[in-house]
Amino acid sequence: MNKSKIIMYTTIGVMSLILVYVMFIQFRIVNESDVDEVKFLREAELREMLASYKEKYKEVEEEIIETDKTIEEYKQTAKTEEGTIALLEKDRDDARMKLGITDVEGEGITIKMVEPRGTETAPVEPYSNLLTLVNELLLAGAEAISINGQRIVAMSDIVSISGDIIRINGERTTDPFEIKAIGETDRLLSALRIKGGFMDMYNDINYTITIEKGKIRINKYSQPITLEYANK
Amino acid sequence: MKNNLKIQIGIALGLMCLLLTGAIVVQLNTIKEATRIVGTQYAEAGLKEEVIKWKEDYERKYKELEEKQETLETVRKDATKDSGRTKQLQEDLDNTNRLLGLTEVTGSGLILTLSDQDRMKLKETGGDPTQAIVHAEDLIQIINELKNSGAEAISINGQRVISTTAITCSGTIITINGVKVNSPFEIRVIGNYFTLTAIARPGGYLSLMEDGGVKAKLEKQNNIIIPKYSGTITTKYMIHVK
Repeated sequence: MNKSKIIMYTTIGVMSLILVYVMFIQFRIVNESDVDEVKFLREAELREMLASYKEKYKEVEEEIIETDKTIEEYKQTAKTEEGTIALLEKDRDDARMKLGITDVEGEGITIKMVEPRGTETAPVEPYSNLLTLVNELLLAGAEAISINGQRIVAMSDIVSISGDIIRINGERTTDPFEIKAIGETDRLLSALRIKGGFMDMYNDINYTITIEKGKIRINKYSQPITLEYANK
Repeated sequence: MKNNLKIQIGIALGLMCLLLTGAIVVQLNTIKEATRIVGTQYAEAGLKEEVIKWKEDYERKYKELEEKQETLETVRKDATKDSGRTKQLQEDLDNTNRLLGLTEVTGSGLILTLSDQDRMKLKETGGDPTQAIVHAEDLIQIINELKNSGAEAISINGQRVISTTAITCSGTIITINGVKVNSPFEIRVIGNYFTLTAIARPGGYLSLMEDGGVKAKLEKQNNIIIPKYSGTITTKYMIHVK
């Protein structure tokens, strides 16, 4: 009687232990699938894509309204040759402005960037800094950009010559750099000042960067732009 | 003797109960955790759907814009005479739009394909994974060098590179003109082939990328088609200075 009781209780005990063990295994599995950063990163990426599509949608919507207006204008004024000429000139000038071959003005920011002096920190190659900066400004919706007077257009390149000397649009220039950008001032500023962004990155390696905002003027790209190899 | 056994059994049962309770508590916590994760996945799925919806909306709207632009072209052509000032202006406008990247272009040049190194291969060779994949920064550098070598038109995976093109990354996703692109990156370039091949010079940026493990393939091509910029160039803040 006693012996069988002991066996019974031992069995119950063993069963319970197995149960507990199974539960622990279960716990470990779930814990492993607790995907940490990737999950959140993905969500952030999705949010970014969503914001991008929303913005592009809005831009296209506005462009449609603009195009409709232009179509109407052509229909209205194209009855006379003078009217057509005026419209074509307006369209052409607008396209030329977008290309960067006219002087422009508007609200924007002026960035002054001075390389660190002394040997404490090895500065990043200046051309590379400027490429990064131009990209940041474009992302923040900059409509026109210049560096030390050189307008940045579609075919602009920024290359290193030797040491601090760089070449923009084939013209030599060097530190200090003055970068101008026309666009929505607050957006441009916040893009540069965002935590871990351009300002943080370069202040950390001892660059002196100052930014001013206001109405600025940006000169045109002064070289001929031609296509030799690209055809219709 | 009997009492002693009862005590033993009691203690054993008590211990078992304690363990069970502990396990149940742990399990409950685990389930709570799991529910949270599932919740995140749901939210993500919702977000994915929304992204897809907006993408489709945008594409539909963009089609509408393209139709309008065609109408404008026709109306403009109708208004233009066969000769004289209007014809000249029309040609000027077309030419400027071509320079802006608003039309499809064809020509000779090269196609450079950059791809991330395979994970398997990387494990075998023990290479640095961050160096063996293509970053947004790499694309910026490569595009800059191509422009320096006289590129007239460039596209990356169908995205035309124009004056306002930004190349960025967030996490592992690279976007060009606000559109997501993935490895392999097919970079089409129209220009003088021989000057363009400077991109492959020893010690140049591309060769450094290859040293890091990125796969690169360069082909000469005579009939490269580069698509037009599929977006709008908006100007809200700048105006002409007369």
